[in-house]
Amino acid sequence: MISETFPTETEVQGYRLDDFLTLAAQNNPTIRQARLQISAQTAKALQAGLYPNPTLNYIGEQIGVDVEGDKDSPGEFQGMTVSQRFVTAGKLKLSREKYMRRAHISEHLAMAQQFRVCNDVRIHFFRALAAREIVELRKELLKTAEDGAVTARELYNQGQATRPQVRKSSIALQRARLDVLSAENHYRESFRRLVAIVGVDLTDGVVSGELMPQGEPLSYQEAMSLVLTESPELAAARAKLAADRVTVRREQVEWVPDIVAEGGAGYNFEAKETTAAAGVSIELPVFDRNQGTIRQAQLDYRRQQEEIRRTELMLQQQMANVYQQYLTALQIATEYDRVIIPEAELAYQELLESYKANRVDWPTVLDAQMDYFDSRLTRVQHLEQVRTNEVLVRGYLLHGGLMAAPGPTPPGHIDAVAKPR
Amino acid sequence: MPSPEDRRKFLKVGSFAAATGFVGNLLGRDANAQEPMQHSGMKQHDNMPQPIGNASARPEIPASSEVAAEYEGFSRFKPSRGLDPDSDYYIGKLVPGFRKASDGPAPFEAPDIPTLPYKMDNGVKVFELVPMAVQQEFHPGVKMNVYGYNGSMPGPTIEVTQGDRVRIVVTNELPEDTFVHWHGFELPVQYDGAATLTQNPIKPGKTKVFEFDIHEEGTFFYHSHVAMQEAFGQVGWFIVHPKRVFDPPVDRDFGLLFQNFHIPPTHTISDSWSMDWNWHTINGKSGPYTTPLVCKHGERVRVRLLNFAPMQHHPIHLHGHTFWVTSHEGARIPKSAWVPRNNELVGVAQASSFEFIANNPGDWIFHCHMIHHMMNHMVKQVGPRMRDDASVDQYLANLSSRPQVDASRSDKFATPGYPQKMQGMEMSEDFMNAIWSRKEVRGMRANYAMSVKGLMTVLRVLPDDLYELVMNSDQPVEKGAVFAEIVRRFGDPGKYEAAPRMMM
Ligand SMILES: [Cu+2]
Repeated sequence: MISETFPTETEVQGYRLDDFLTLAAQNNPTIRQARLQISAQTAKALQAGLYPNPTLNYIGEQIGVDVEGDKDSPGEFQGMTVSQRFVTAGKLKLSREKYMRRAHISEHLAMAQQFRVCNDVRIHFFRALAAREIVELRKELLKTAEDGAVTARELYNQGQATRPQVRKSSIALQRARLDVLSAENHYRESFRRLVAIVGVDLTDGVVSGELMPQGEPLSYQEAMSLVLTESPELAAARAKLAADRVTVRREQVEWVPDIVAEGGAGYNFEAKETTAAAGVSIELPVFDRNQGTIRQAQLDYRRQQEEIRRTELMLQQQMANVYQQYLTALQIATEYDRVIIPEAELAYQELLESYKANRVDWPTVLDAQMDYFDSRLTRVQHLEQVRTNEVLVRGYLLHGGLMAAPGPTPPGHIDAVAKPR
Repeated sequence: MPSPEDRRKFLKVGSFAAATGFVGNLLGRDANAQEPMQHSGMKQHDNMPQPIGNASARPEIPASSEVAAEYEGFSRFKPSRGLDPDSDYYIGKLVPGFRKASDGPAPFEAPDIPTLPYKMDNGVKVFELVPMAVQQEFHPGVKMNVYGYNGSMPGPTIEVTQGDRVRIVVTNELPEDTFVHWHGFELPVQYDGAATLTQNPIKPGKTKVFEFDIHEEGTFFYHSHVAMQEAFGQVGWFIVHPKRVFDPPVDRDFGLLFQNFHIPPTHTISDSWSMDWNWHTINGKSGPYTTPLVCKHGERVRVRLLNFAPMQHHPIHLHGHTFWVTSHEGARIPKSAWVPRNNELVGVAQASSFEFIANNPGDWIFHCHMIHHMMNHMVKQVGPRMRDDASVDQYLANLSSRPQVDASRSDKFATPGYPQKMQGMEMSEDFMNAIWSRKEVRGMRANYAMSVKGLMTVLRVLPDDLYELVMNSDQPVEKGAVFAEIVRRFGDPGKYEAAPRMMM
């Protein structure tokens, strides 16, 4: 059969969940991306609050005008002025506050990203753990299938099985071998996917840990209140609302005219003496009082209010689905643990004892053995479901640890000016 | 004559020397025979255990008896036919036992089944019979849930004499209706017990009284007349001794009651609906837990054999002897119609009486010849038990991970049909202790338990001294010693092979 070599516990290093979480915290690029997003926003805040620079003007007026005793004089006035815009109504402070608040959103989003990564590590860790246990159980089932094939040949030699029954046992044996191979392949896949999220290059390894969750299961109310109070996504949406509130305030003062004052000195070639120049300008908000942008900002603010609600509802919808899968799998796994597997084990044991006492034949024992191993397999499959869904329930439904960390602003915001405001 | 139990008690308090003296006197031996044998320094065959008993004793007629050792060429002490098939003594047909007819009928003895006591009331024998659920130990430690009477399955034996009037007070302790039928009796129809045809059911907790005169003699039995209760074990002997002891008188009157059950593996409750039957019992025990019938060399023996299997007839075979079929359940057969046999087919609800002179000492198997009845279950012989390297214990040691199977086939599989030998079950030490705890098996071959299975028991024909040693003394008897001693005296000791001592 075509196969890859499969690592065994003794040959390669064993890893626990904490090992992977530590590695991921150090190496997953999206976590760094998310932190960089925060820095980018604080840089923007810095920029937005910077005071405008003064302007140095050279002025030469009426160059070439004839004055007494001099035709083609250098001009009536030659001099330098300095002009300075005086920003009013705390616009810069508001702009800086607005971007600081956006940095705050990025902090929540970075938190969310950490959860995405950690949750993914956990999910893929438990998948790998389950896959590992499934490999072992598939190997047990293979031994049973081998025994079944040997038993069929023994029965055949005693006239108690037909040739097609022997062939059937060969088919069952080959299927069991394929099941082992695909279980091994699935383990490799799980391990490699786990390693990809962690962000380091690990070759083969084995995972070790406990699949059955410890402690009391979460109720739906607990799960829901946890996500509604602590979800980083919701926190980011709420922070965004605060930023939008500042945006409104910022736009509301935008129409307040800045005062531009200008002053300087020069030489008046007409009067042949040094003179001064001064000027003040102010824009008259006659037509444009920024009323459109204010309105846009206000609408954005209201939009964000709905965004919070939408996020809550989306989380509720996801939770309904994830919790259902968590609960169903937990119920099944618990009952397999509590009743079905012990019963299957006892049945197997009792039949072994009966076989020992010459009361049942071996094929009956093999059936019970297969049932027992198969029910353990089912338990592991459901525990995998329990664990992956539990991670989501406790981890605010966040996953996708290799998707790029999102920025703080959705589309539709006022960023279209050279100087951020 | 004191009962065997009284004699056993007497022997326990007296010395063994006194006991041999007692036995010696009883058998009219000479003084030498009364001295215990000195075994030390005796040359013996490599294989053979130390001689036991009184080897010099020759089979003789007890002084109390007037019978002969030989009748027209038939010897009561060695296998023989007699001279003439038309003779009354051919194959011991009418050769009397040691017991005199004037001593009354030999006591009926059904091993492992108690006798039902009675009280006399104005000349009526009053028995109290209680149908109930019973736990019966088929094998050591293997307790099955069945129905029986008075705590016993089969029910206790009712033993009366022809001409008695009996009153049987039946109190139903089952949680369901029952009926009791007195099988074979020609009684007034109202007491016949046939369900609802002749009487109303005996309700749970209720009592019904049956009273009738017995004019018959023979082997009868009582049983529930509810089919499933019958299948569940509700049957018992009802032995009627003839008013005048039959000629020739017998020394032993044994009873063997055969039953079948279907009890699934890991279970203790019989499936009375089954068409298949996997547990076979004789007097409520399954071989090797069946108790051997033990008699003395030269005795006339009767075995009454009742087949109360639900639906299977049993061809019953006794080794080492040819027996006469002298009666079926309801009546004694006229002598002219007796049949000599080695194997008698006993149908469902039939009883046959076998009579023979125990003239061939040894341990003789007495069994149903249906091969599926010669073991307790028929299971396919595949799996670890027949594989060279594996025992079931290695599977039991670690249930969560099974041992690897060796897929290579040995050359033996080149023989189509291999293996046909049924591999025995693994018997525990407790099991073997229980098997060997009974006096009836003392001195048998060490691994006899490996071969006595299902509907099998053993007839032991022992010389007097060995009979006393086995049945009435507390002397330790080595496994195989009695068998070896019989070989020494009656067989070919030079060719003796001891049993391998693998089983304890
Ligand atoms: Cu039979």
